[in-house]
Amino acid sequence: MKKLLIVILAALLMMPLAANTASAAGGAGPDKDMLKGIITQVDEANRTFTFVRESDNQTFTFIMGEEMAASDLSLNAKVMVNLDKHAGEGVAKSVDRMFLDMKMKTVISLMVIGLIGGLLSGFIGSGGAFVLTPAMMSLGVPGAVAVASNMCHKFPKAMVGAYKRYKYGQADLKLGLVMASTAIIGVQIGIQIQKAILQAWGNAGSNLYVSVVFVLTLVLVGGYVFSDARKLARKQNDTGHEIGKLALAMQKITIPPMMHFKTANVRISAWVTVPVGLFTGILAATIAVGGFIGVPGMMYVIGASAVVASATELVIAFVMGFWGSVQWGLSGLIDIRLTLLILSTSLIGVQLGALGTTYVKDYIIKIVMASVMLIVAVSRGAKVPGYLADLNLIQALTPSTIDTLEAISFWALVAALATAGVIITGAMVKGMMSHRAETQSALADARK
Amino acid sequence: MTTFDKNMAAAAFAEAGDHKGAREMLGNGAGQKQNKTPEAAPTKPYAKAFVLGAISVSAYVMLFTNEAWVMETFTRGGIYTLFPVLAAFFFSFVHGPFGSDLLSCLGLEARKK
Repeated sequence: MKKLLIVILAALLMMPLAANTASAAGGAGPDKDMLKGIITQVDEANRTFTFVRESDNQTFTFIMGEEMAASDLSLNAKVMVNLDKHAGEGVAKSVDRMFLDMKMKTVISLMVIGLIGGLLSGFIGSGGAFVLTPAMMSLGVPGAVAVASNMCHKFPKAMVGAYKRYKYGQADLKLGLVMASTAIIGVQIGIQIQKAILQAWGNAGSNLYVSVVFVLTLVLVGGYVFSDARKLARKQNDTGHEIGKLALAMQKITIPPMMHFKTANVRISAWVTVPVGLFTGILAATIAVGGFIGVPGMMYVIGASAVVASATELVIAFVMGFWGSVQWGLSGLIDIRLTLLILSTSLIGVQLGALGTTYVKDYIIKIVMASVMLIVAVSRGAKVPGYLADLNLIQALTPSTIDTLEAISFWALVAALATAGVIITGAMVKGMMSHRAETQSALADARK
Repeated sequence: MTTFDKNMAAAAFAEAGDHKGAREMLGNGAGQKQNKTPEAAPTKPYAKAFVLGAISVSAYVMLFTNEAWVMETFTRGGIYTLFPVLAAFFFSFVHGPFGSDLLSCLGLEARKK
């Protein structure tokens, strides 16, 4: 408990460092061209509306963009107005109602996704965020609010999961803090790269860059994790953990300062750990799923086991999620109802996933992680043709093709969660049953 | 029955050979000691889970019955950021342990090495 408090304290001290940092899963923070406030009047004939900004009660009259309809505007409810600077001064691109009315369907959907997302998070250290944000958006939540609310649910979940796995002797707090602090700096660098690309190639170019990096990283890293897990599964050795060749080579580098990570049982130079953290941060700022880079980085470059790496990722997720939440909270975009509804089940799921890791061998964690990464890559890959068409690199897509690709993208995410849920539950039940049988036979032997 | 009477009665029972009755008469002390043998199954935290669950449910009810105020205050930004962040911490310290106890009550425990 004392060590956990030190982690919380360290996170607080990192505030100045993270002040301008969006979190790993949060992209670059809220858009500066976005205004928050209330619409008081709509003039359908002139296609204008009167808007009162929340921060200073200043009144503006905006022109509705081409794609907007007067019926989209809700009066006297908190809205976000996105301005279209390219279309001219005072032209609104879109108006989103910030906080939707809660319906039973929304509540149940959030709780179900929260439970499976939590289970995945507790088991492989990351997960849930990549499906929660799109799922919330499909329920009608504006993108920025979905990211903010998801971020605010991430850090308490990671904290509870990290605490559980620390108690099981799996989380390496020192490694987690080193990785988190360097990843925060990496995120800053990543955001600068993103900004440069956005300026050079515009929105469609940036989307294409993100998707290509996303798909390549997930396919390459996911594929490697999968083949490694298969090799381990065939060997069926006792611990299921073998230090890879790359990690062994890295551990031979003895340039000071050397760092010793007790739980991970690794002694390695800071010249190795720091770049791993930085690179994790840079990629996290690009593909928004930091855990998919951090966990393999800790396994294959630093040499931690899958159990320790996935547990340590929860420490990193807590630190980065906390500061991401502060960042988004300052803009007032967190819908606490969404956050707490997801937390109601994900706090149970994350602990179930954490205890599940005590019943399975190391390679099962790798199999789950690789499967999720590869299916999520399909989801993002389905978006690539759309971005290519936006850049006029291929012919424009028909509306039915766009719909099909959107459906593939969304359902692949759902399939990733479902597959992970099934593998984890199956492995856990099998592990528990064999443990019970072992305990009973040991008791029977003792009685004889 | 005074303590003296109880002890005397227990002694009489013990002398008569009824050790079990004598131990029961001496109260819970002896009985508790017996339960604390290493083979005894750990008790499930039903009461703790119930109390934490009740606090958690009450907090959720409070949140949704005061929805309008909560949404107005929690989304003001600036220093009001503390509201959603502290609420998230509060729920993790109440609902998290509740989840842990709930899993224990359901018989789902981590494997002990």
